[in-house]
Amino acid sequence: MDRKTIFIKDTNNTNTPQTLAIYNSFMNYIREQNLLNDIQIVRTEDVGVYAKGVVAKTYPVVKIFENVTENDVPAIVEAVKNAAGGGVPSRDKQVRRVLRNCGYIDPESIEDYIANDGYQGLKKALSLGSPDKVLEELKASGLRGRGGAGFPTWLKWKLTKDIVADQKYVICNGDEGDPGAYMNRSVMEGDPHAVIEGMIIGGYTIGATKGFLYIRAEYPLAIERIQNALNQAYAAGLLGANIMGVNFTFDLEIRLGAGAFVCGEETALIASIEGRRGTPSPRPPYPSVKGLWEKPTFINNVETFANVSYIFQKGAAEFAKIGTEKSKGTKVFALTGKIKNSGLTEVPMGTTLREIVYDIGGGVIDDRPIRAVQTGGPSGGVIPVEYLDTPVDYENLTKLGTIMGSGGMIVMDTSDCMVDIAQFYLGFCVDESCGKCAPCRIGGFQMLKLLEGISNGTAVKEDINRLRDICHATQKASLCGLGQTAPNPVITTIKYFEEEYLEHIENRRCRAGKCKNLVIYKIMPDQCKKCGICVRQCPVDAISGTRETGYSINTSKCIKCGQCIEACKFKAIIKE
Amino acid sequence: MERITLSNIDEIKKKNTKDRTNNIKVGMSTCGIAAGADEIYNLLTDEIKKRNLNVSILKCGCYGMCYAEPLVEVDVQGLPRVIYGNVDKETAIKIVDKHATGERLINDHIIKIIERD
Repeated sequence: MDRKTIFIKDTNNTNTPQTLAIYNSFMNYIREQNLLNDIQIVRTEDVGVYAKGVVAKTYPVVKIFENVTENDVPAIVEAVKNAAGGGVPSRDKQVRRVLRNCGYIDPESIEDYIANDGYQGLKKALSLGSPDKVLEELKASGLRGRGGAGFPTWLKWKLTKDIVADQKYVICNGDEGDPGAYMNRSVMEGDPHAVIEGMIIGGYTIGATKGFLYIRAEYPLAIERIQNALNQAYAAGLLGANIMGVNFTFDLEIRLGAGAFVCGEETALIASIEGRRGTPSPRPPYPSVKGLWEKPTFINNVETFANVSYIFQKGAAEFAKIGTEKSKGTKVFALTGKIKNSGLTEVPMGTTLREIVYDIGGGVIDDRPIRAVQTGGPSGGVIPVEYLDTPVDYENLTKLGTIMGSGGMIVMDTSDCMVDIAQFYLGFCVDESCGKCAPCRIGGFQMLKLLEGISNGTAVKEDINRLRDICHATQKASLCGLGQTAPNPVITTIKYFEEEYLEHIENRRCRAGKCKNLVIYKIMPDQCKKCGICVRQCPVDAISGTRETGYSINTSKCIKCGQCIEACKFKAIIKE
Repeated sequence: MERITLSNIDEIKKKNTKDRTNNIKVGMSTCGIAAGADEIYNLLTDEIKKRNLNVSILKCGCYGMCYAEPLVEVDVQGLPRVIYGNVDKETAIKIVDKHATGERLINDHIIKIIERD
């Protein structure tokens, strides 16, 4: 039996946290009651509840007490002492399925994976009798591709299976290139066998004898751990000939991506594995018909394969228990940007953005108001704060003009400029465009020029319509997903934040102070304490004055680097 | 490792299933290592050996709380299972001295309390 414990933490973000005060009252009380040996009081960094005053979490009967004051101390101690209830149940919004073993097992040990239901999924798939039965199970689960588009996995497998060919291939797409997204890396590093198990099941189902894991070279540890897992699987007879004593042969190999974003697109990825230049080609024919070396091939994301092994380990019914009607299961998101608890979070489909940002992410840094959430990386769009209560699934995100993508989620607050954001993501896609088709190569470049104009204050109102036109053309006419989705950040920011674009164009004003050419730095004489720290910080000697007369900024010399603002303790320097 | 077949996998599973209490885990994915988890892992290993404690130490993957790396999970008999965040050398030694010995939890560093099944 674990020692009775009360965890406490002041969850309000004030300058004077009350944790210590309440801690002392708890300690005094249990000392008085002579309970020091029975109950321990622990101050924590995080109790999983936010903005609810001082929170006490009790253990082993797990209950949450919110807004605790000194007067509540005796009641809470009594509740813990008698293992009675009280308080509210603790609710963890996260459901760990794909990440079930990440942080739990030793990723370098196949024994540890097997001890935690590892390869039971493969056993089940091989025992079902026929690949058709495997497909049935997969169909019952309702799993959809986790790479972004949400194509039903069972259908993709069936299309590949139904084609008669002497050779077929399975590919795992581990070329995770979105800025700020690293779900796949964590799975490959934390639970490599789960991905491999999913791939073997896939190979068995479609009748493939060979598979490739395409991993970006920027993930050296993921590559090392996957290779180690492959070696172990070969040694244990889980890869190679006669897998698990069944007449089925399957080999796996790693291929490294050389850092091109476009190689995450399936036809470009195939070209890259074949040793050709990584450029996309028109579909159809789809890879399920003519894929790697013109043979039927299916490509799934790392997370999809990790879900497949879960489905066969625990059953399709268990998988489909959570999620929404059309999107089953969970999704892993990489929560970054202006968020307190950045990191990976796995939530059931249908969880709202607000729950993800506030209940899991702990809210916005410095408690500034949230403005928008960007999902899906450079191919996704921006969701404004009005839609924060949207349940996250494939359909809802598409309706809002963005995509699930692989699961990047970037939180933006009032210090983010939407024009700047659009420019950043579009700039990324322009850099990464392979240049094969004109709409993406030229359209992207021209859009970027227009955005630069808006951010520099040289644009005219008509430019917004021009942007819309080019966005539309690029979306419709580009060869692959990169070009088709590259305008999404631009379209959604114009759709939801048009007034901010107009402000840039008509008033030459950037409210977030991000567009350098539209802001000037100014010292407010009233707040200025004439300490002179800013003068020493300025790298271009743009600040002049003396301790007697005060200081001023020469705007023609100022390069707007922002160092003076950071240095000023009295917040006397502002951007205008 | 012996070859795994349909018939012997359950047996192998059983053989490898071990009691998971009395262990310390350090998150050693790229995020953890970048934050210095390597050093903490080595320090914990040395300190446990020095004190001759009956606690095993394990490298594991990323728990997802990247804002608080390095992460150290401690699960010893008689105390709640918790994860410490932002573990520096000083905290690591406190963990070995107080928590790993089963005495008490460390203040101000716990970022997650894991409920046992």
